[in-house]
Amino acid sequence: MVSNAQELAEKRYARIMAAINLEEPDRVPLRGFGGDIIPAYSGITQHEFCYDYEKAIKAIEKFLTDFQFDWASSGITGLDGRVFSVAFSEYPDIAANTTFITGPMHDVLGDKYYRYPGREISEDASPQFIGGTFMEADEYDQLIEDPVKFVAETVLPRACRNLETPRQAMATMVRLGVEFARYGAAGREIGAITAKLGYPSIPMGGAYAPLDIIGDFLRGIENVLLDIRRYPDKVKKAAEALVEPIVKYALSYKQRGLKWVMIPLHLNEYLSPKLYKEFYWPTLKEVILRLADEGMKAQVFFEGRHDAHLETILELPKGWGIAYFEKTDVVKAKKVLEGHTCVMGGIPMSLIVGGTPEKIEEYVKNLLEQVKPGGGFILSANIGTAPRETPTENITALIEAVEKYG
Amino acid sequence: MLEDVLKSIVEMEEEEAVNKAKEYLEGGGDAQKLLEVCRDAMGKIGERFEKGEYFLSELILGGEIFKEIMEFTLPKIKGGSEKKLGKIVLGTVKEDVHNIGKDIFKVFAEASGFEVIDIGIDTPEEKFVEAVKEHKPDIVGMSCLITAGVTSMKKTVDKLKEAGLRDGIKIIIGGGRVDESVKEYAGADAWADDAAKGVRLCKQLLGMEV
Repeated sequence: MVSNAQELAEKRYARIMAAINLEEPDRVPLRGFGGDIIPAYSGITQHEFCYDYEKAIKAIEKFLTDFQFDWASSGITGLDGRVFSVAFSEYPDIAANTTFITGPMHDVLGDKYYRYPGREISEDASPQFIGGTFMEADEYDQLIEDPVKFVAETVLPRACRNLETPRQAMATMVRLGVEFARYGAAGREIGAITAKLGYPSIPMGGAYAPLDIIGDFLRGIENVLLDIRRYPDKVKKAAEALVEPIVKYALSYKQRGLKWVMIPLHLNEYLSPKLYKEFYWPTLKEVILRLADEGMKAQVFFEGRHDAHLETILELPKGWGIAYFEKTDVVKAKKVLEGHTCVMGGIPMSLIVGGTPEKIEEYVKNLLEQVKPGGGFILSANIGTAPRETPTENITALIEAVEKYG
Repeated sequence: MLEDVLKSIVEMEEEEAVNKAKEYLEGGGDAQKLLEVCRDAMGKIGERFEKGEYFLSELILGGEIFKEIMEFTLPKIKGGSEKKLGKIVLGTVKEDVHNIGKDIFKVFAEASGFEVIDIGIDTPEEKFVEAVKEHKPDIVGMSCLITAGVTSMKKTVDKLKEAGLRDGIKIIIGGGRVDESVKEYAGADAWADDAAKGVRLCKQLLGMEV
């Protein structure tokens, strides 16, 4: 069993790596998804899944046993914690723990960024990032002057109820450390289970687009978009100032032996090509290039429609990482990026939720006919979270269709 | 003067637009006419968006300029006698706490002459049913950002059917995660993943030429 699992994992790893290296694998690899379906499949609530790690690990094991993708994408639930990573960027041993903020960490921090099931929202709701405004427009100079100091000492005490005073912060940080240890242990346990099930291990740390730090965690999405018009120079300088701390915390994963960072984008879809090229892309590009110089690759999730900015990806060095698309047409994206960038995505989650096994097979067949030739493609749902009502026969149909036509 | 207001709104010149609108009213201009010009401007912004010339950031800034001008224009318009295009009950569905998409749509729907009753975020199915009973809208608009919202939309449509209210209304769904298959799955009449298209479809649903 063990050697079989190891062989299977090696085979899957080679398949994924061939796609990433822009070669044609033995068959198109299929990336897995997670989300509400995992607790639902085991009959536990989202609250239990987010807060009771033992139950969560069992639920993940059951899901990954019954639905065998090539690349598992299931872990303890956490939401983007990159503002904390910026705050801790001078301490690489700590920063690496803050990629995701779990439910128990959310409780410890008392932050206003996230909504967790059984806390702010019902026990069966999905955990959600909501962000907010924790910095005023007239504070850009402070952010530009010393971004880490401003985030750690001014923003976080506003954004987290339990960091409001230094003495509260002392207790909160001790408790947060305990949660880091529990989360780390759960992660290692899941790692052992996935290895036993024959999944390859491709651990990923995190990085972020500098302007998204401002939009998601400091000013709020709507405000940062208005700021771009009202105070363009300050917004630009602030994004530039955040490059250094972001690169610094992302390199903390390298120290732990990781070779990958995940970068989910948010404001890309909001911006015209002109604004994208002026305010968003230059600093994101710098982050990716600086990490590439250090031998790290990135998996960038281009949320929404990235069609208008597709060509900018060609400014990155060949083989820089994985471009994961949501609503961008992957057939078109693959044509544009052929021989340069590995493309991931292609299956609308709405098809998996609302389709039938026949429709899914037909869809996968058609899509693969177009994107399989030449390699460099990883098939994946266009978003990583499936709702709890997702018909399991549709998940099976997807896996079987890829085995047949991949 | 009004042409300048129109042009500066469409070109995203925030200060210019607000100042020109103020000047116009201070010089004895007609608030009703100013309102109509601002609506035209929002329509043009929507058109540019649908053509791919404008993006979400322009929709948001356009909405912001519109709101700023309305703040000092609406109090100068007498009575609420103006005829609305129709009434929309609007909310983000159950278990989804996101509001940006809903709010952008709301500004554009109001700007184009709809009356919008915003029933908030994380809206239980029953609240949609009650709001339809109370306000008797022409259209129900449901928004979601997360994938779980897709099934909440279906459940809300089902509840409206159970209550015998489905036939009297048109249902449009919107948000980042909706598409044609979500429309079919949920049993809605139309879908849009941007506000400009959403408003255009609302007019079409009510049989208006657009």
